[in-house]
Amino acid sequence: MTTRERQRLEAAPQDRDRLTRDLLRPVLHTSPRIYLTMMALGAFVLAGLVAFVYQAYWGMGVSGLNRPVFWGFYITNFVFWIGISHAGTLISAILRLANARWRRPVTRCAEAITVFALVIGASFPIIHLGRPWLFFWLIPYPSERGIWPNFRSPLLWDFCAITTYLTGSLAFLLLPIIPDWATLRDRAIGWRKKLYRVLALGWRGTPREWHRLEMAMRIMAVVIIPVAVSVHTIVSWDFAMVPVPMWHSTVFGPYFVAGAIFSGIAALIIAMALLRKILHLEEYLKPIHFDHLGKLLLVMSLLWVYFIVAERLTVWYGNATPEVAVLLATQRGKFLPLFWTMVCCNFLIPFPILAIKRLRTITGTVIASSTIVVGMWLERFLIVVPSLEFKYLPFSWGNYRPSWVEITITLATFAAMPLLYLLFVKFVPIISMWELKGGEHPEPAAAAELAPGHEASDPWEGTLPSAGS
Amino acid sequence: MSRRWGMVIDLDRCTGCEACVVACSAENNIATAGESQAAKGRAIHWIRVERSWEGEFPNVRVRFRPVPCQQCDAAPCEPVCPTYASYHNAEGLNAQVYNRCIGTRYCANACPYTGRFFNWFQPSWDKPLQLQLNPDVSIREAGVMEKCTFCYQRALVAESQAEAEKRPLRDGEVSPACVQSCPSGAMVFGDLNDPASAVSRLAGLDRGVKLLEEVGTFPKITYLARES
Amino acid sequence: MRRRTFLMFSAATAAGAMWDVAVEHGAPGKELVRFIPETKLIPGVTVWRPSVCAQCAAGCGLSVRVVEGDAEVVRKGQSGLIKVGLAKKLEGNPGHPVNRGKLCARGQAGLQVTYNPDRLSHPLRRTGPRGSGQYAEVGWEEALGELHARLGPLASPSATSSLAFLTPPLRGQRRALIENFLSGFDGSALVSFEFFDDRVLREANRLSFGRAQLPTFDLAQSNVVLSFGADFLGTWNSPVAQSLSYGTMRQGRSGVRGKFVQVEPRISQTGASSDEWIPARPGTEGELALGIAHVLMSEHLRPAAAAGSAGRWIAGWSDGLPEYRPEAVAWKTSVAPETIRGLARQLATHSPAVAIVGGAPLAQTNGLFTALAVNALNALLGSVGKPGGLQFTPQLGSIGPAAPAKSKSNAANLSGNIQTLAQQIRTGKPKPVGALLIYQANPVFAAPPDWQVKEALVKVPFIASFGSFTDETSSLADLILPDHSYLESWVDDLPESGAAEAVLSLAPPALEPLHHTRATPDVLLDLAHRLGGPVAKALPWKTYEAMLQDAYTPLRHLPGSVSAASDDEFWSKVKDQGGWWSAGPVPETKPTAARGRSQPVKNQEPEFDGPAQDFPFHFLPFPSQQFGDGRHANLPWLQEMPDLLSTAMWGSWVEIHPGTAQRLGIAEGDLVEVSSPHGVLRAPAVLSPGIAPDVVAMPVGQGHERYGRYASGRGANPMAILGTKTEPETGALAWAATRVSVRRIGKGELCLFSVGPLEWGAKQLKR
Repeated sequence: MTTRERQRLEAAPQDRDRLTRDLLRPVLHTSPRIYLTMMALGAFVLAGLVAFVYQAYWGMGVSGLNRPVFWGFYITNFVFWIGISHAGTLISAILRLANARWRRPVTRCAEAITVFALVIGASFPIIHLGRPWLFFWLIPYPSERGIWPNFRSPLLWDFCAITTYLTGSLAFLLLPIIPDWATLRDRAIGWRKKLYRVLALGWRGTPREWHRLEMAMRIMAVVIIPVAVSVHTIVSWDFAMVPVPMWHSTVFGPYFVAGAIFSGIAALIIAMALLRKILHLEEYLKPIHFDHLGKLLLVMSLLWVYFIVAERLTVWYGNATPEVAVLLATQRGKFLPLFWTMVCCNFLIPFPILAIKRLRTITGTVIASSTIVVGMWLERFLIVVPSLEFKYLPFSWGNYRPSWVEITITLATFAAMPLLYLLFVKFVPIISMWELKGGEHPEPAAAAELAPGHEASDPWEGTLPSAGS
Repeated sequence: MSRRWGMVIDLDRCTGCEACVVACSAENNIATAGESQAAKGRAIHWIRVERSWEGEFPNVRVRFRPVPCQQCDAAPCEPVCPTYASYHNAEGLNAQVYNRCIGTRYCANACPYTGRFFNWFQPSWDKPLQLQLNPDVSIREAGVMEKCTFCYQRALVAESQAEAEKRPLRDGEVSPACVQSCPSGAMVFGDLNDPASAVSRLAGLDRGVKLLEEVGTFPKITYLARES
Repeated sequence: MRRRTFLMFSAATAAGAMWDVAVEHGAPGKELVRFIPETKLIPGVTVWRPSVCAQCAAGCGLSVRVVEGDAEVVRKGQSGLIKVGLAKKLEGNPGHPVNRGKLCARGQAGLQVTYNPDRLSHPLRRTGPRGSGQYAEVGWEEALGELHARLGPLASPSATSSLAFLTPPLRGQRRALIENFLSGFDGSALVSFEFFDDRVLREANRLSFGRAQLPTFDLAQSNVVLSFGADFLGTWNSPVAQSLSYGTMRQGRSGVRGKFVQVEPRISQTGASSDEWIPARPGTEGELALGIAHVLMSEHLRPAAAAGSAGRWIAGWSDGLPEYRPEAVAWKTSVAPETIRGLARQLATHSPAVAIVGGAPLAQTNGLFTALAVNALNALLGSVGKPGGLQFTPQLGSIGPAAPAKSKSNAANLSGNIQTLAQQIRTGKPKPVGALLIYQANPVFAAPPDWQVKEALVKVPFIASFGSFTDETSSLADLILPDHSYLESWVDDLPESGAAEAVLSLAPPALEPLHHTRATPDVLLDLAHRLGGPVAKALPWKTYEAMLQDAYTPLRHLPGSVSAASDDEFWSKVKDQGGWWSAGPVPETKPTAARGRSQPVKNQEPEFDGPAQDFPFHFLPFPSQQFGDGRHANLPWLQEMPDLLSTAMWGSWVEIHPGTAQRLGIAEGDLVEVSSPHGVLRAPAVLSPGIAPDVVAMPVGQGHERYGRYASGRGANPMAILGTKTEPETGALAWAATRVSVRRIGKGELCLFSVGPLEWGAKQLKR
């Protein structure tokens, strides 16, 4: 903290205290309702674990997968959750670099989504393995037999990209928490104090530490963006690299990245709205945040439409028999209901809500986001399954219907996300206290913004709880 | 020069009798899936006879073609395997190392011919049906992919026999179970690197076509088109 | 358990040869080989042993791959692991003239007969009511003692009731043995039953060509093949031999590709290979053949006299068949006159050409007429006994013991059919049936319900079966004395067709018996010895092997495939070769001269069971590619082998024309009810473009009530709704002459291998 900042905080001690009190409340106090919710969610997760063990015990046959649909719900979920993970880190990194100050209450919330969605997403390739206990054969480690994984396989690229992204995202999430943990360390008692003492890594708030943190965050923000883009590009290459009709497409890289950001923002909006409600953060997560994110969502929705048109129009125009079979199956055949539901969810419903300013309220954006999450899940499904059902040789076309095992595991991951999130907010202030308090450790030049004269023009202004009112 | 095993399937001779299908199951220890699993698309047939109805009554024609793994020279199944379970052996076959397979099923998706099969459950045989199992072919546990091997075990036996007799392998000495059984002689197997072999000669006929040639897999199976 | 299984599999993968031990027996104590090895095989080294396929009547030679392995067997009342030779694969015997190293799907699946989990492993005595399937294990001595006690009284000259022996049509020494056995029982009957029995064709060939025998086709040299309903590439006659020559006909000759036209209302596996499919109306195939003959004669492509004696059974033949102008024939057959003319010209100008008839066209009330018409057409084309035409495999039926002189009453009864047997049981005339022996035949499953076969059989005081399985018929038995499987037995056969030379298939056991079973021929010889008297005199041999050796050694002096200096050498070479085949003219069984008929056969309109207004569809049960007449339904490989045309597995179905189905509101996979005047069945519908709109078809073979775990309670049995119309001249069942109605019941379940579209699509593999 610079001297100016400290002075500012000292000048408004009641403001500072209230902020800290508000944001620490969810960490230090837990209502029985939260426990109940956690138990309910935990039950779902447990059911998913049981289903997974059941599947590992008996074999993949307990799923609805078959020949030729060798990939189904699990890979859909994998792509979906990896997509969701793009919410956070990418958004917060871009906004950080762009110095958009309205992002401050949003960043941590978003970054947490990234980490959890990545963990969930990355578990699916393992859940989906025929012999999941051998998953470590995917890891390039020097073995005494000199056997390495196949670096030509997109799955290995996936593995590398996801682990890199997970590591980066974790650092990106955890680094800025350190000062807050230090705050907690100073306030908590009992075992929590011990815990936070460890987690705070001896943070004392010296200028040197602040400087280091800031530098680290800058570097991370720059590095994490290409990593994030590459991750979903590589996920798309799992499909695009093989000669399967409608998979083998050059547009898949950007298409997947756009879709990922799209679903990620939607997930972020939903998460924010829930946190706002549950943790009573109405004064910190304000309509303007939803409005801004809503605009971003609108842009992504349009981009998504652009990509899907680009993908499908070229296939239709190209008129190659195997691809057209898949195209028609999705648009006019057995997948018609799902396809048009997806179009409604991803565009026809959210577009007017997000485009009309009057509708771009918190409720409006949440509705739009909810349909988008559903729509984007369907999109992943419609990428994975129809191409496999309608592969080249019509004699070997197939059908896919998920079994209870796949549905249970899918639901479990949808429960795991809020569960992990709830646990997270019980240990970490979900809104970065120090960033909110001080702005982001402003440069001396930028610090001028803090001067009274500039405050009116600051879009961030007014989103802070007004001190003393 | 090393061998390059290849096959020719004459669709003008094929009668769709499916002797090859049962021969394959018998030779390669393929377990039956049973009705409920078969109905879910989990029956394993390394070779299948595809059927196509063409025309309207009464001008109806039927076509069929036996489709085993095409043993592609540029096989899409090979590069995608993260553990090298699916690889190209020295004689050009797309081999599958069952022990190395972790069951990503990526290869099965990549195969344009849907010629790869997955063990959804642990295979089992009602006693004493297990006595029929071929000791030269390992059985595959749940969770691994399997596929046509061109009955490589037969080639190995013939090669060691020829070696013991200190003579080169004769054309036609090696034949996979499907080729061996084919009553109408529709299938011919041999070394494509030997220009004098029957399979090389037949593969060069004008009637020869490759299945899904446009995908660029360079299959080692040549189909001789039906002449009517 | 699970982990153990996993470990077992790992072990098996690592050491393939140890596999049998690893999977079968977990406990180490059981893994010790407790008995002295029964085999001198070197572990891991394959031995190929000859055998004879018993899966159908073609009589193909087998080559059995035998590898040493451990099996759990019962020896001297003790069970344990033992080193034995295990059959690992069945292939065709490369030297055998019928199948020349090739083997069909059903033949290859024969391995699962020997290793079938439902095979009976020891003699059984019935404990529950008849047909309940409740049996208790008994020892062989006890079982044979009981059989002896039951048959003894019937063998005495003063017996008041008779013995009947129910078998499929038998050939070779097995037939001789049973005939000689029965000769000791006054008034006894050898009743042969097979659903697809070709009785009509044999009779027609007897009339036309003087040979009551199925023909052999030299397709390899044919230029045009015209088949009337014969599934000659699938299930009919000698399918492997016919497929072999079919392959040559198509692409085995340089510059010549034979053409193949199939006439049938539903495309069969064979019809699927045809260049042209002609769906003539059921029962009018003979009409069509004569229409073609008319054109041949009227256009002076062939003179009427060329048909020789085969033409004289057709009224109006010598006059050029004036009633069979293409226009008239077209009206009846619904085949266009131009098609008829075109076919005639092709057959005439592209000789050698051959016409084949078999299957459903002969299972009509006018079947004999149809067969004679096609025979006459063949004769007219000059394709009888010529290259590229049809010929008859020389029959060496005279080897072995002659049937002993028969008493008058005996001769009258020596051959019978299942209807006369049922009648005899019901009426007790001429003598009540005191005991019934059943060997392999399963008429309770395969006979039409109105014959009341089951109802009759249960009235027989004593039934013994030699079957390896409990099926619908053998489960009525009081005593079951299970036979060895054919791989474990001395096998011999006398192929009726499929080769140009005389063929005798013979082989010693390829395997040691797996179970506590005994070869039925040996059991009968033992029994004959116990019974004494004329039976023992007629069957003096101790073993079937000795009987076979006696029958075969005289062949040494005939020109054949084995040359040997001594009888012993000859015998050992015949055993190694898997039989004996002629290499020159041999003394044949005397061709049966035409007798009992001098008048041409009238062309009668086919009659159908069930009025057309109530039962609008012809019902066509067809032999299935998997199960033939149903005997292979207990083999899992065949259950899981997709049907070529419908791709159905593990079930049965009703084939309906898509237009008809649409009219009846039936969609693919819907459960439909097929009703005839004689019964009702339900099965899922398959919409097939290759079937006439007024025909519904169903594969035969499923719908077993009791036939092991793989077949029981699966699918529906089309025989259960068949009428009892017969071909009047031969008494053969007209199994294609039933009419049915069809209606939708609801959603059904179909297990299909391909759920894709019926057509591959325009751009797939077209040049």
